[in-house]
Amino acid sequence: MHSTSQDKTRWNALSAPLVRTSLWLFGIALICVWLADLQIRSVSPWAELIRLGHGLIQPDFATFDTAIVALLRTVSFAFTGVGAAAVLGMGLAFIFHYRIVQAVCAFIRAIHELFWALIFLQFFGLHPITGVLAIALPYAAIFARVFSEILEEGDQRAVKALPAGSGVISTFWYARVPDVWAHLISYISYRFECGMRSSAVLGFVGMPTLGFYLESAYGEGQYGEVGMLLVIFLVTIASLRFWVRPKLVILYLLAAPFFLGTGLPIVWGNATRFITEDIIPVPLRNGEGIAGLGPWLSDLLWYQALPGIGTTIVLTQIALVGTGIIALLSFPLISRQFVSRSGQLAGHSLLVIGRSVPEYLLAYILLQLWGPSMLPAVVALAIHNGTIIGHLIGRQSSELKLRPDAVGGFNRYIYEVVPRLYRSFLAFLLYRWEIIMRETAILGILGITTLGFYVDSAIQELRFDRAMILILITALLNIAVDSLARAIRRQLQLRTTPTTQTPLQP
Amino acid sequence: MKAFLCAFVLNLFLLLPASAQVLVFTAIPDEDESKLQERFGPMGEYLSKALNIEVRYVPVKSYAAAVSAFRNDQVQLAWFGALSGVQARARVPNSQALAQGTEDQAFWTYLIAHKSAGLEAGDVIDERMRGMTFTFGSKSSTSGRLIPEFYLTERFGESPNKVFERVGYSGNHSRTLRLVESGSYAVGAINYVVWDRELAAGNIDTDAVKIIWKTPAYPNYQWSIRGDVDARFGAGFTEKVRGALLALDDKTLLKSFARSAFIPAQNSDYEPIKRTAQEVGLID
Amino acid sequence: MSALILDQAYANFGGTTVLGPIDLIIKPGEHVALVGRSGAGKSTLLSLLLDRRRRDMALIPQNLGLVDTLSVFHNVYMGQLPMHSGAYNLINLIRPFRRQILAVTAVLEQLDMLPTLWTRAGELSGGQRQRVAVARSLFQGGDVLLADEPVSALDGPRSEAVMQALTTQYTTTIIAMHDLDLARRYASRLIGIQNGTIALDLPSHSVSSHDLDALY
Repeated sequence: MHSTSQDKTRWNALSAPLVRTSLWLFGIALICVWLADLQIRSVSPWAELIRLGHGLIQPDFATFDTAIVALLRTVSFAFTGVGAAAVLGMGLAFIFHYRIVQAVCAFIRAIHELFWALIFLQFFGLHPITGVLAIALPYAAIFARVFSEILEEGDQRAVKALPAGSGVISTFWYARVPDVWAHLISYISYRFECGMRSSAVLGFVGMPTLGFYLESAYGEGQYGEVGMLLVIFLVTIASLRFWVRPKLVILYLLAAPFFLGTGLPIVWGNATRFITEDIIPVPLRNGEGIAGLGPWLSDLLWYQALPGIGTTIVLTQIALVGTGIIALLSFPLISRQFVSRSGQLAGHSLLVIGRSVPEYLLAYILLQLWGPSMLPAVVALAIHNGTIIGHLIGRQSSELKLRPDAVGGFNRYIYEVVPRLYRSFLAFLLYRWEIIMRETAILGILGITTLGFYVDSAIQELRFDRAMILILITALLNIAVDSLARAIRRQLQLRTTPTTQTPLQP
Repeated sequence: MKAFLCAFVLNLFLLLPASAQVLVFTAIPDEDESKLQERFGPMGEYLSKALNIEVRYVPVKSYAAAVSAFRNDQVQLAWFGALSGVQARARVPNSQALAQGTEDQAFWTYLIAHKSAGLEAGDVIDERMRGMTFTFGSKSSTSGRLIPEFYLTERFGESPNKVFERVGYSGNHSRTLRLVESGSYAVGAINYVVWDRELAAGNIDTDAVKIIWKTPAYPNYQWSIRGDVDARFGAGFTEKVRGALLALDDKTLLKSFARSAFIPAQNSDYEPIKRTAQEVGLID
Repeated sequence: MSALILDQAYANFGGTTVLGPIDLIIKPGEHVALVGRSGAGKSTLLSLLLDRRRRDMALIPQNLGLVDTLSVFHNVYMGQLPMHSGAYNLINLIRPFRRQILAVTAVLEQLDMLPTLWTRAGELSGGQRQRVAVARSLFQGGDVLLADEPVSALDGPRSEAVMQALTTQYTTTIIAMHDLDLARRYASRLIGIQNGTIALDLPSHSVSSHDLDALY
């Protein structure tokens, strides 16, 4: 017995595959921390931060009228975009078994909606369709994949029992959809909340949504107005379940397109010119031929793409682990296992704030506090994504049935709850890997030199040829990370579509 | 869903307004948006009265968006910086620089520094700023990026990316001021109009931030108009707009531009800027 | 310890009373078997008792309360979580202490479960899982044991061993069970539950087959 127990003492947590994967991610992040510039540089941020704090505590409702119109636009863009995406996505789900459809969808969703907006701005200018498509297109690609997965998971027995010749459409609506209907609806409603955020963020590039005013107000230091805009946005998100009712949704969908605002007229020639001229690499446009293309391309790859990829990966890996840490720290705040009912309510409010404040704004605020480095971006991404995962696993933990005499407090956390949730926690985290990478794009616009920074620079310099190549590289990088995450999930036998199991609703 | 799709498609058509007789103009967002609204709202009213057609001002979020809107014929007239004007006119055949402010013939940029940087004001750029942090304004700004980048490169013999530990782009001049004032960046580039106005308004903590260098003069802002407006709004429209701009003598309106008057400008005035931009590598 | 006392205790579920009112006194040293049809209220009675006092009580709930993702060692160790600091428990979670491994090993050996020491609980069979829950309660220690069907998935000799171990270690036991024969042999007192009330309460040696048939 003693000899066996001697051997047994060699055991440690490392032998568990889930733990090993986590440690790998952690170790890589540590290397990235060493590579990254996370220094705090700011000298005297306090005056500005105190003013910011005042503004957030005492929102200024002077421009409430404009804000309400912007809120209406935000909701309208979200409904129109997500609605169109759901219809399109359902159509694509039918043909999703074709490799080519999968590849195209993977490519489309690998590009951040802000970039889509910047591209469509060249096509359509400041017209509502720019914003609608910027949401609808990537969302449709996401819907296509998730819908097809949900349909696959559905019960196929009813399909087999149908009489021969029932037709594809009838079979679909009678035998396949009903089984997964609730699942589909819960996923769409989760996506709608994301759509609200995307819609607000599109304001940063000129759509008439909340982000438009948020960005100006913040840039001008009108913190009272910032506070007001954030309050109405957060209240709208937190109250979604009260005003987004199944019957009302149809009404909203019908009405939304009429509340997008007018924008500027579309000039169709621009679209053609964009494709046939703007995105053709300069050397080709100037007739230098393939010979001129080489140096142009290698310059672009060497001085922009490569450093951009490096920063993007470093930022993503640190933010990924930060996200995990925030998620594990924040979920007890809303869990029945750890806090009282009123405590859960407070926790919910905190998590809603964490996940609804656009990471762009969060990073901007932290930039004031800590000065220019990667730190604000890391923390902003970690807070945003961490509170989303925290919310999801917090809800799962509330559903756990522990034995009546289970221990409480920290012991309950490490022995009873975290071990039970760790699988789904890791599934969510791996699922958000690619999302975090995509979001680093947005922070590029703030000056963190991710690929997004170089894309933004190219667009600001009106060099769409460069922008397109960089966007292409960004997309490929995202696809690579997504495939890696899927492979790991498959290896660990984690569910493939975690968000569909527990819809995100406050 | 079908009803929704029909409504959606129908709506897209309804959204196309009859725009033939509306002159739409924009401006580069070089400053805080409320300031732009204060300036261009009344400007639109003035132009509308002077030209006797409907004039609409559209705010945009970036320099590139202003150039794109001009190029895409969604706006026909724009208040550009030197660089954005060059970029825009290069993309629209026969477009012209119409008028500039008297001050725009000789514009300059200040380099400003936080006191903790310990830099001295002087006739040449203080070399000790090497290795510090530096912020430009917008990536496409003439006064906030192109000109300071040109002179910094000249002084240090290599691009700012190599000279400084970190280079940022604040987005506009107001933000540059705030970021350097708070010490988030040690040094920044800001155009003199914004600095002088904010200083006069008492919005600058002069204990925290000071001017350390002034660039040589260069031509800057101008009104540019598309080449096809005569065909669209009637013969002689371009000259009519130029006339209206030159005739502007409303003191409050001019003051909001920080200009004493508008004087004629032409494309060739901006040749030096074009060459500088090519040298810095901002245009191909 | 003092006696466990239920005084006019009852349990409501969704507005209707499912158990009680019940008066019951269980003295230290008694080994009680709760018998009766499924759904009669045995589990409810156990949870009423559990509500009385918690410090010196161990519980084996019907669903066992195992953490499937943790090893058998950790599941058993969980019986003693309250006796150590959070930091100690955290370290033991990552790198088990030798002392604890030896202690847990001793308990598992008694139940013939030693080979599964590092197996994850989720990978065990039903009978093995039941024995892990038993091992946890043995490791926990204390005076009183409340157990809900702790041997339902075990075969004859194994259930004998488990009952033996439980009744030896705990001075007072209250165990809900189906196997009447086992109940009579290991309990000193039999309580029969029917329709939410106590229908029978006798020393086990004086219970007749007839009495029991009436319960089922």
